Amino acid sequence: MLKHLFKMIWNKKKQNSLLIVEILLSFMVIFAVFSFGLNSYSNYAKPMGIDYEHVWAINYNNTLETKNADSLKLFYQGLVRNIKAMPQVLDASITSANIPFSNSHMSTGIKYKGEQISQINNFWVDENYPHTLNLKLLAGRWYNKADHVPGQQIIVINNVLKERLFGNADAIGKIFGNYDDKNKIKIIGVVDNIKFDGDYQAPAKAMYALYDTSAYHWLSKILVKVSPDADAAFESRLYKFMANSLKNSNIEIEHLSNKLTAYNKFTLVPLIILSIVAAFLIINVALGIFGVLWYNINKRRGEIGLRRAVGASGNSVSYQLVNEAMILATLSLIIGSFFAVQFPLLNVFDLPSSVYVIAMLLSIIFIYILVLVCSLYPGKQAAAIYPAVALHEE
Amino acid sequence: MIRLQNIEKVYRTDTIQTLALNSINLEVEKGEFLSIMGPSGCGKSTLLNIIGLLDMPSKGSISIDEQATHKFSDKKLAQFRNKKLGFIFQSYHLINDLQVLDNVELPLLYRDSTAKERKQLATEALEKVGLSNRIKHFPSQLSGGQRQRVAIARAIVGRPEIILADEPTGNLDSAMGNEIMEILLQLNRNEGTTIVMVTHDENMAQKTHRLVRLFDGSQVQ
Repeated sequence: MLKHLFKMIWNKKKQNSLLIVEILLSFMVIFAVFSFGLNSYSNYAKPMGIDYEHVWAINYNNTLETKNADSLKLFYQGLVRNIKAMPQVLDASITSANIPFSNSHMSTGIKYKGEQISQINNFWVDENYPHTLNLKLLAGRWYNKADHVPGQQIIVINNVLKERLFGNADAIGKIFGNYDDKNKIKIIGVVDNIKFDGDYQAPAKAMYALYDTSAYHWLSKILVKVSPDADAAFESRLYKFMANSLKNSNIEIEHLSNKLTAYNKFTLVPLIILSIVAAFLIINVALGIFGVLWYNINKRRGEIGLRRAVGASGNSVSYQLVNEAMILATLSLIIGSFFAVQFPLLNVFDLPSSVYVIAMLLSIIFIYILVLVCSLYPGKQAAAIYPAVALHEE
Repeated sequence: MIRLQNIEKVYRTDTIQTLALNSINLEVEKGEFLSIMGPSGCGKSTLLNIIGLLDMPSKGSISIDEQATHKFSDKKLAQFRNKKLGFIFQSYHLINDLQVLDNVELPLLYRDSTAKERKQLATEALEKVGLSNRIKHFPSQLSGGQRQRVAIARAIVGRPEIILADEPTGNLDSAMGNEIMEILLQLNRNEGTTIVMVTHDENMAQKTHRLVRLFDGSQVQ
């Protein structure tokens, strides 16, 4: 019977091609939505890598007139010391502007064994950074005060970069070149990955460099870990302290948890929009399949009557129509899978292959269920056609 | 072989009730070639549909081969039609998207058979009607007479004991009609197939063993 149905479909390929294309397009859209959604979920399921609750970010701009680096260093070290001395403050760290969830990125490249590796997030940090964010050290060590020696070529990298460079091997003590390979940099530590771009984005390659005294000119963020009882009144005190310390500076205090919520919307909004578009398309396809099958039944009443006359039961007729729809869906899915499988093979969008494979399987199941649901009722209607009436109409 | 007792068929709508068949009692013997005649709308096709188990009588009973078919389930009716009955229609009812061979194989798809058996039986049936050279053609590539011969091949491919023909020559010119009639007569003569044929053509009816005339749903001869 299957061969018979294939013949019927093949001989009506022109009429069926539109439905095949419609199912194919739906599959591709569903595949995109599932890939995007699965990737987002798999990233969401990963740990954040830091404790962002009760961490505040103070934005400032350096308004001090002195150009002496040592004076600046003394000033800012004193500032941080004073902040840390406040009763609700647990720790504080001055960093570059690209703090977590800030939409600010600084990237660089490195050279390792002749290979240029680019798009590495570059963070300028101090020795307090991991304590402030509760960033876990996986191997080696973090910076200490003894590392503030000019000419030190050391670096701490995150686990993504470590795995990219060395796989499962130990990274500590390994050396790579900077972006132009003129300076050699030694790895002293590996830290856990941080999802800098929010819950739904995968952690990217990152390295953490210890800034020197010249950096105080342009550093513009202080991360402050506060105790849970730190309230608005304390925030106001902190603001006033900063405003008094840095005259004419634009001071702003943000909570990392609020920044994360805002940043997550960057990912969720496109996903929601894509889902809405996909939902409309699915409804369209469902109506399309339903309509085509309904039209088929009405157009093929004579054939249905004949099949009943030569030995098909009502159920056989119903199964036949459902099976025809499923075969059409299969043809669409074969073509669709050919295109979909290119995504993991060509590493499009740099998503994990498993995301594409699972999304493909889910999309196939989804399309089959959709086609099955849409063909069941027309199939049932076909089964109810009275053969004598159908044959007489013809 | 076929026994109809007090068959009555009433078509009801919200406002009208039409008596299509009234107290039909009919027996058809095995190997008999019976023709049914009557003016348009007298119930000939309705009677044929009831004999072919495509329609149910409003009243009365029908038995084929001593089996009371009105008690059959939909599935059993379908199996019974498949094994015992073959249908030939005035408008051929061929599936235009299938080649001649596939059209003829159609009844065999609804019983246990291999593709090889189906092909062999369908080819034999087409040989019987003289169309073995047209198996790859589509119905649209055939003449009316050839289409009706394909329909006959489809009706006989499952080797049914009974063939029900609803004006098989109605759409054909007299020469073609005679050819078709000759095939039916041969089937009846050589293979002992019982045939019940509805026709408007007196000449065709005269060639059969027995003629039943209907008028306004009642049997008048």
